[in-house]
Amino acid sequence: MQTLTDNALMLKVKSGDIQKLGLLYERHKKRLFGFFYNMNSDAALSEDLVQNVFMRILKYKHTFTGEGSFVAWMFSTARNVNYDYYKKSKKTNNEYQISSVEYKLDDGISMEESLMRNEELKNLKKAMHKMAPEKREILVLSKFKELKFSQIGEIIGCSEGAAKVKAHRALKELRTIYLQLESI
Amino acid sequence: MEQEEFERKAIEYIRGDIGEQERIAFEAYLEGNPKQKMELEGLMEVWSQTDKITTPEPSEQMDIRFFETLNAAVDKKEIKKSKGFNGLLSKFKFLWSPQFAYGIVLLGIGLSIGYFFNTDKINNQVDANIASNNEAKEVREKLVLTLLEQPSANKRLQGVSEANKFDKVDETVINALLQTLNKDSNVNVRLAAIESLTNYVDNPAVRQGLVQSIPNQESPIVQVTLANLMAALQEKKSVEPFKKLLQNQKLDTTVKKKIESTIQSII
Repeated sequence: MQTLTDNALMLKVKSGDIQKLGLLYERHKKRLFGFFYNMNSDAALSEDLVQNVFMRILKYKHTFTGEGSFVAWMFSTARNVNYDYYKKSKKTNNEYQISSVEYKLDDGISMEESLMRNEELKNLKKAMHKMAPEKREILVLSKFKELKFSQIGEIIGCSEGAAKVKAHRALKELRTIYLQLESI
Repeated sequence: MEQEEFERKAIEYIRGDIGEQERIAFEAYLEGNPKQKMELEGLMEVWSQTDKITTPEPSEQMDIRFFETLNAAVDKKEIKKSKGFNGLLSKFKFLWSPQFAYGIVLLGIGLSIGYFFNTDKINNQVDANIASNNEAKEVREKLVLTLLEQPSANKRLQGVSEANKFDKVDETVINALLQTLNKDSNVNVRLAAIESLTNYVDNPAVRQGLVQSIPNQESPIVQVTLANLMAALQEKKSVEPFKKLLQNQKLDTTVKKKIESTIQSII
């Protein structure tokens, strides 16, 4: 039995079957939450923003044409929601909350090694948040394996090639900042 | 290779987006360009490091808030639709003429021909619709289970009312409703659970669950509701648990009379 594609579901929402938005929410909530969380390191705020994205999708359902991919359209909306939030609250998207840093540790490593890895990850996360939001954003989007560069280009409003160059440069900048933090 | 071309290829390579032949060619290029090779290795290290940064799971509250808002939007739309439909009907009354009926017949013939030539496509669409409806049902079931576990009685009531919207429910939801009936601290939630379970009394597990819950009830109103239901269902298996309940010294007198009359009517 086949499952309806995201685009088919969104077209159903557009035609008035708004219950189907629940399925799209279930399919993409974690990914969207991950996007926001990696942008702002605030779980409660990220949940609010996920909610805002879906409410905006519902409000502007008539603008979905079905020509591009739903995921790209959804992330474009997420970008706007994120931008509007920071514009409205006049906060910067670079506020880094050290308390919310979480680390994944492998079992069977020494305490010294684990502390070192913790330190490395802390610096990496710090480096991410020292980057300009638009650079951090393209890195976060590039980490989603299911997003092609053509879609990332669609989301941030540039060509596929330009998206690749931007992602490369953002990664390079992340490495530079990270190495600076490591040397302190 | 120009710098921008290198940057594009390098990020594809890092992400694993590159084709086999392109990868071999790129690796051969790197062998001749040690400076760029070193740069790429450094970037690959940072890239793989970022995989270790974890993201927490969103909370259940996020789901509850989303589905509350979505259900409110659906309800609002349905009210609007029903008002709109009546208005529309009165506007189009003039269409009930022989010409219109003739048009409908022609349209029917056209649709039948279309259906005949497109059976496969329609079947696929039907399959996809069934799949998406099943998915929607799963989502709703998940919502019911989550709501029934909430500390707020209002949320639990909402969970029971969500359960009423199913045409058919699976065992998990039935068990959750029965557990609510037996263990929920709030009488209103228990009553709502009985009402919801009444929709599925054809299911033997539901009948059995309802019968088994009789001795667990202490609230007079829940006891009377169950007595009424058992009388309506003429459920003989409920006689024993009711007799057991009658032995309880603390049983309310009105309830006692009600249960006695129920037992009489069932026997």
